[in-house]
Amino acid sequence: MVNLVALNNQTHRNVRIATMRSSVEYAAVNAVSVIPREFQRLVAHYPIFYTKSTETGQFEPAALLGFARHENLFLMDGRWDAAYVPLQIQRQPFSLIPRPGDVAQGKRPALDVALDLSSPHVQTQEGERLFLDDGQPSKFLQTITSMLSALVSGSTEAYTFTGRLAEFDLIEPVRIDIEFVDGSDTKLQGLYWIAAAALKALPAAQLAELRDREFLEWMYFQMASLAHVSALVARKNRLLSGVTAVRPGEDRK
Amino acid sequence: MTPAEPRPVRKILIVGGGTAGWIAAGVLASRYPRRGEDGISVTLVESTQQPPIGVGEGTWPTIRATLKQIGVTETDFLRECDASFKQGSQFVKWADASDADTYWHPFTLPADYADRNLAPYWLEGPRQPGFAPSLCFQTELCSHALAPKQITTPEFAGLANYAYHLDAGKFGPFLQKHCVGKLGVTHVYDEIVQVQSDDRGHISHLVTKSGNLLAADLFIDCSGFSALLIGKHFGVPFLSQKDVLFIDKAWAVQIPYRDAAAAIASATISTAQSSGWVWDIGLTTRRGVGYVFSSNYVSDDNALEELKTYLAARGDLSPELTFRNIGINSGYRQEFWVGNCVAVGLSAGFLEPLEASAIVMIELSAKSIANLLPGCRGDMQHAARIFNDTFRYRWERIVDFLKLHYVLSRRTDSSFWIDNRGSASIPDSLREGLQFWQHHCPWHEDFQHREEVFSAASYQYVLYGMGFRTETAPWLLSDSDRNRAREAMSETARHARALGASLPGNRDLLARIRRYGLQKI
Repeated sequence: MVNLVALNNQTHRNVRIATMRSSVEYAAVNAVSVIPREFQRLVAHYPIFYTKSTETGQFEPAALLGFARHENLFLMDGRWDAAYVPLQIQRQPFSLIPRPGDVAQGKRPALDVALDLSSPHVQTQEGERLFLDDGQPSKFLQTITSMLSALVSGSTEAYTFTGRLAEFDLIEPVRIDIEFVDGSDTKLQGLYWIAAAALKALPAAQLAELRDREFLEWMYFQMASLAHVSALVARKNRLLSGVTAVRPGEDRK
Repeated sequence: MTPAEPRPVRKILIVGGGTAGWIAAGVLASRYPRRGEDGISVTLVESTQQPPIGVGEGTWPTIRATLKQIGVTETDFLRECDASFKQGSQFVKWADASDADTYWHPFTLPADYADRNLAPYWLEGPRQPGFAPSLCFQTELCSHALAPKQITTPEFAGLANYAYHLDAGKFGPFLQKHCVGKLGVTHVYDEIVQVQSDDRGHISHLVTKSGNLLAADLFIDCSGFSALLIGKHFGVPFLSQKDVLFIDKAWAVQIPYRDAAAAIASATISTAQSSGWVWDIGLTTRRGVGYVFSSNYVSDDNALEELKTYLAARGDLSPELTFRNIGINSGYRQEFWVGNCVAVGLSAGFLEPLEASAIVMIELSAKSIANLLPGCRGDMQHAARIFNDTFRYRWERIVDFLKLHYVLSRRTDSSFWIDNRGSASIPDSLREGLQFWQHHCPWHEDFQHREEVFSAASYQYVLYGMGFRTETAPWLLSDSDRNRAREAMSETARHARALGASLPGNRDLLARIRRYGLQKI
């Protein structure tokens, strides 16, 4: 059970976060929500699609990590097999939660950094400290905090971005049928991408708006990322055919 | 053969700015978007003296295609018309007035409806949990006030078939804004004071109070009960149906929700009373409730007391409520299209709102006019003949279907119910149907038209919901269909459970849509 508690430099003075292990328990997902400002780094490893938020129905960008429920093909032997890990995974086990007092008063709540105390990363002996002896946040906590605020502003930015694309009819559903090396197959549904024909036919004024707002750049990163679908299939095929990726110089446990 | 008059039909004038006028304007203007030199013009004139009645709060699933055709978004429509999702009707105490007496008429068709008639196999028993719940998963959604879709479902699409409940007072102005702003419909406020005819008896133009002459090739009479053109000018007789459908009055009231989280029913609830029935419709902002009754069987005062009893039983009676008394004159015109004038909406006819037929008839009329729109004035008569045949048939079928609900009742608690089963009050076509269905479950071929307002599915839902029994001869049944029926019933139960667990409540989804909107795709 997730047990989110707002951080406090008294209560959590001695808490440490073990960072050596990757956040495996948060990573058993086949897609992760991402923000446009990490597209440039994501594009080197992951296929990015648009999916609909089950809360709001709005389009949000997501990196595809696997084909079946809970299948993350980037997790190899408890390690993340890519040079860049999406912020949504990196930030674990921290979150932002609305300050309860503000909610009760009905005003727009301030967000507090919260820690999932049920996480095995939470330690008292080893790992990164959250607070220094004088109660100030550590460098580690500062990094986490900026990551979390980047995710909040990035999520707003993402909805503005995809909302505009939808208004311009630039998003279309895509269905991908995949056959794996063992003959099994899967149909990817609920994924959307840029409608190439609509983009080509886009009126100049709309195109200029997309360019001026950086949206065009993000679109091209996202479109380029789709080349990784076949790389992802290859990962799955290697698993199915019993080939285990062993990185040079690394011993398998 | 005399050559057809070559003058093209380019100018359309709609008289009346209620639900009918704006649906007609929206459908015609969106179907024929070309304006100006080589296009058509659509003008709507409405009186400021006579505010629209705002007919109907219930619609049929056809409304989704109509709104899409007109070009509005589902999000804007839901937000601006306080609309909610309607997935069918629930009838309470219609059959025998016992406590367990209730059945559904959902919008989703019975399982396998396209290929197989499974009704005979449901009738073989054990007939639990009821015809609709056995063969249609949607009753499960209705009974839990669930939405027919999710926030991720594209606009106008659903996981179950649906229509809307809407605030008719807001629907006209909503369409008006779109028609004038986006579709190039010209909107004029003026009074019609005179109708001018040409030598063939067609209308040449209308003279308005401010002295304008409104000329057109085709006039659409959406002037409501006043029936300015079809009634007052052309004098087309009104065929009263009061000998078949006894309802002639209503008390209507608006009920606020008790709290902001109260469930919004996703079906119209129709509860039978001593001399009619009570409608109960949930919008996002309030409920609309009313008692339609027959003044031959109950006085205004007693009817109001019955309605208050209904409200009190639900904790909804309060001194602040305002009850409106409305007259209902069930019937329709002998003809709808005369010369170059066609009537749509209340000017064409009105029947008691038991199956929410008012708005669907407006949509069907507007669509037919758009499809039949003659190329030239000389072809008007041919279009009129087809239109009149089609719509006379449709009004007759609606009368039959409404009467069906009363004929099947076994209530004996008032002469209203007993007299409703009097054979003199039952149309021949319905009597023949009922005779036939004693040995044959309603099926596609029983009805003639491609676009029936009420299909065999609707007849099945009402007949078997009301407890009617068809005895199908054994040689007309097959084991393979029987097996399939058994499968279909367990599939229906599984599907109902799965959807029931994954769909949001009506209120929850409507609030989300208000906030985030629905995607087009």
